[in-house]
Amino acid sequence: MINIDQLYFAVAIAEACVALLLLPRIARGPSVSDRIVALNTASTQAALAVLFYAAGADRAIYLDVAIWLVSFSYLGAIVWARFLERGLI
Amino acid sequence: MSTVIVVVVAVLALVGLVFSVSGAVGILRMPDVYCRIQCSSKTITMGALPALVALVVGEGFESAYAARALIVAALLLTVNPAASHALARAAYRAGVPMWDGAVRDDVKAMKAAEAEDADHRHGDRPEDRREGEHDD
Repeated sequence: MINIDQLYFAVAIAEACVALLLLPRIARGPSVSDRIVALNTASTQAALAVLFYAAGADRAIYLDVAIWLVSFSYLGAIVWARFLERGLI
Repeated sequence: MSTVIVVVVAVLALVGLVFSVSGAVGILRMPDVYCRIQCSSKTITMGALPALVALVVGEGFESAYAARALIVAALLLTVNPAASHALARAAYRAGVPMWDGAVRDDVKAMKAAEAEDADHRHGDRPEDRREGEHDD
């Protein structure tokens, strides 16, 4: 029987791979908005990877990293959207 | 840890991963920003929430992991639509072009109708100037 911690590690690695899959779009998005969208999705996947890694490694202190990643990625998205709208970038 | 829980966690995480991968492929391959925003929000709703539910099921509802996972789920559910909307609106106002195959642009049609309407009335009511059209 598969150990549940190994399952958590596998899911964490897979989510991190999804985040890595988005890097080409961040590198060569035609506009700034493309990059912001891809960066948001990548950071959500990274937060999921951190959550699953924390559950697999039994380290509850890593969970706060995930919460900060999620909340600040969206605050960042809203701030970038604001700047784009005002035409400063 | 019983086998049933492991199987349920594996199935939920697999569903989340399938949606995440398909959304990432969509972000890589979609033709313009607006389609990519749609892929991104679908990815997060259907890809992240099953994975978080998997964590809740696997660790038990009362553990610290489940509490944090539920906080992250609530954050994603509330802030993700707002951020997607703000990004789409900012991209439109910044003039990011649509894909060549796009068939409708309702905002452009509405603006054109409003401009025609203002031409008829020709500025006799200055409070009709809409917010966001002045220059600052």
